[in-house]
Amino acid sequence: MKWHKILSAVSACALSVSLLAGCGNSSSSDSGSSDTAGTSDGGSKKVANGELNIAVFQGGYGREYWDQISDEFMKDHPDTKINITASPKIAELVRPKIVAGNPPDLMYIAGGDNLPILDGLIKDKALTDLSDIFNTDEGSGALKDKMLPGVLESRSMAPYGDGKIYLAPFNFGVLGLWYNKTLFDQKSIQTPKTWDELFAMNATAKDNGRALFTYQGLYPGYLDEVIIPSIYDLGGQKALDQFFDYDPEFWKSDVFKQVWGNIQKFANEDNGLMKGTVALNHTQAQTSFMQGKAMFIPNGTWFEDEMKDAPREEGFQFGFLGIPSFNSGSSVKAMSQIEQIVIPAKAKNPELAAEFLKYIYTDKSIKLNAEKSKAVMAVKDAADLAKPFISETTYNVYKAVDNGMELVNGTFKTVAKGSRYSPKDEVYKTISSLMNKQMTLDQYSDKMYKMYSEVSKELKDSAE
Amino acid sequence: MTLKARRRFFMAACLIPGLIMFILFKLYPAMQVFYKSFFLWTGIGDKPKFIGLKNFVDMFHDDVFLLALRNTGFLIVIVPVFTLLIALVNASILTRTKLKEKGIYRTLFFFPSILSFVVIAILWSFIYHPTIGFLNSGMELLGLGDYAMAWLGDSRTVLWALAVTLIWQAAGYYMVIYMAGIDSISPDLYEAAGIDGATPFEQFIHITIPMLWEIIRITIIFSINGVLTISFVIVTIMTAGGPDRHSEVVMTYLYQQAFTNSNFGYAMAIGVFVFVFSVILSLISNKLTERGVS
Repeated sequence: MKWHKILSAVSACALSVSLLAGCGNSSSSDSGSSDTAGTSDGGSKKVANGELNIAVFQGGYGREYWDQISDEFMKDHPDTKINITASPKIAELVRPKIVAGNPPDLMYIAGGDNLPILDGLIKDKALTDLSDIFNTDEGSGALKDKMLPGVLESRSMAPYGDGKIYLAPFNFGVLGLWYNKTLFDQKSIQTPKTWDELFAMNATAKDNGRALFTYQGLYPGYLDEVIIPSIYDLGGQKALDQFFDYDPEFWKSDVFKQVWGNIQKFANEDNGLMKGTVALNHTQAQTSFMQGKAMFIPNGTWFEDEMKDAPREEGFQFGFLGIPSFNSGSSVKAMSQIEQIVIPAKAKNPELAAEFLKYIYTDKSIKLNAEKSKAVMAVKDAADLAKPFISETTYNVYKAVDNGMELVNGTFKTVAKGSRYSPKDEVYKTISSLMNKQMTLDQYSDKMYKMYSEVSKELKDSAE
Repeated sequence: MTLKARRRFFMAACLIPGLIMFILFKLYPAMQVFYKSFFLWTGIGDKPKFIGLKNFVDMFHDDVFLLALRNTGFLIVIVPVFTLLIALVNASILTRTKLKEKGIYRTLFFFPSILSFVVIAILWSFIYHPTIGFLNSGMELLGLGDYAMAWLGDSRTVLWALAVTLIWQAAGYYMVIYMAGIDSISPDLYEAAGIDGATPFEQFIHITIPMLWEIIRITIIFSINGVLTISFVIVTIMTAGGPDRHSEVVMTYLYQQAFTNSNFGYAMAIGVFVFVFSVILSLISNKLTERGVS
């Protein structure tokens, strides 16, 4: 009698052990074998109905837009249901689902911490080809004609260089140098159009008790907002391609010497770089700038909103300068940055995801996005559609683009799978040593030359 | 069924849930780390590709990894030595002397241990702030303004600055452990030594340290492991590995490879290395301190 009890208890224990063990096993084998399951399932569905799981980045723009646009979509498409997962750390939330072969149907990924997951998906070729969505004319013209020119062709949207679009453009930011507009107006200081003019302002900066320049020291990656337009200004698309496609010779070129020499000049000139810049994180540096410790700082259109609660000097007003050029003849430039939406290759309901993506580009949605997120989408005339909702400063930045400020955009080519290099990190992080005067321009160029040689060799090897 | 068998069964029933949890959440993931370190894998979707020991070979040709390892090594040597020394001295002062404010100090020194690491990191990044920071302002007040510098922005000082934060964070915790230890030492010993004319310093060297030796040995290992894990949070928030990777530690580099560069296999290889490294370090520290037992 008693034995019987014990046996059943033990077997129950054993059962639960094997069940738990079973869990562990099945999840690990899932990640390996699920590539067949997901696609065949989705491929058989033709009609756009059913359930849609979307994952969205909940950053400075909030999630309100997504909640409302989903409601609108469900109203227009009965029989559908949209489930939203939103988080500032969205990549962490979706990663396990992707590994298990069960990704969301549509993902809006943005924010520095989250973006690497897109790189990973690109490396894995795990995204759905969206070209048809943009190329097909459904009566009112193809969707691609609605987008800002050049965006869909860029590497950010067509990462494999074959013209096929795998990432859909969403919000659009303009990045460049900022200054305190009130100060410039009051002291009638002219905004600089060339680098020479900018450096000549050092005396003016000193008179007003501030350094000429600061940047987000711990994150030298922000300097790309200065560097990329500058490369384009001096060497055109050709130099930019060299830079982004890992041509080692770039680091021996005059373009490199001038652009990086310029950056270094801030550190070398007296009063050029705000004291202690290298040790500051982005908020600290931006706050110092707004308190009048520095004349210029690089940042993007989100600046005003990001720092809305930060202390500032009296009368501070945001002014956007863009990036001065090297020759007095050419125009002021700025960098553009466009957020991305993707449909994973293993999405369960890609048809509905495609419908939803098209819906995002409707005028109704663009206006809603402007109203709820105060953001501007990368479509033509979006700034005007958004005008009632965004601040004057932000509107003017976008308008400056329409009035001749040239936009430059670019992304590093994806490195070979398994490469330990992250070229963006290598290129920008090393600048700290330049700014600390612990490295010369030649040493920097040698280091980058070596890194580019290895990265391009890895790419060549992996292609074979 | 005998009483003995019943007791065995009861013991097994109590142990099994814990054992299952341990296997599922500790052993199984740890084995996966070892297993995955032999693969080329982005950590996202595709099938891992077996590449043998290549990740481990690559590791020793990776300048950034070697730099991170050197930085970690620096912290692993400096931080435990100072932390434990300070903790021991403080514990001994607070238990052996008749300070009136004992209670306050005890609380104050322990305070950092109940703060979250993130709070500590943010706090110290403002203490080190180059212009408005407590440290540089304080130095200027004392007329040492010429020596003020951007502590976290200079490759010569950044590791020391981080070490101070780590020591400040941990010293109070070990102090409390040592105080408990000292309380259990028989007061007779101190009394006898005092009658024989031993100074408090001699008592510290010849009574406190030998009697606490076993506790000290354990805290050395705790402290080394603490540095490995806590340095991740501190570095991520205070310096992001900068300037130019001069404060990169192996854990931040592991994270970067796994989640920024999508090199999951390589990151796991680094993880295996850190595991082996800390086990060896613990064994060495155990061996070196062994003779103190007698």
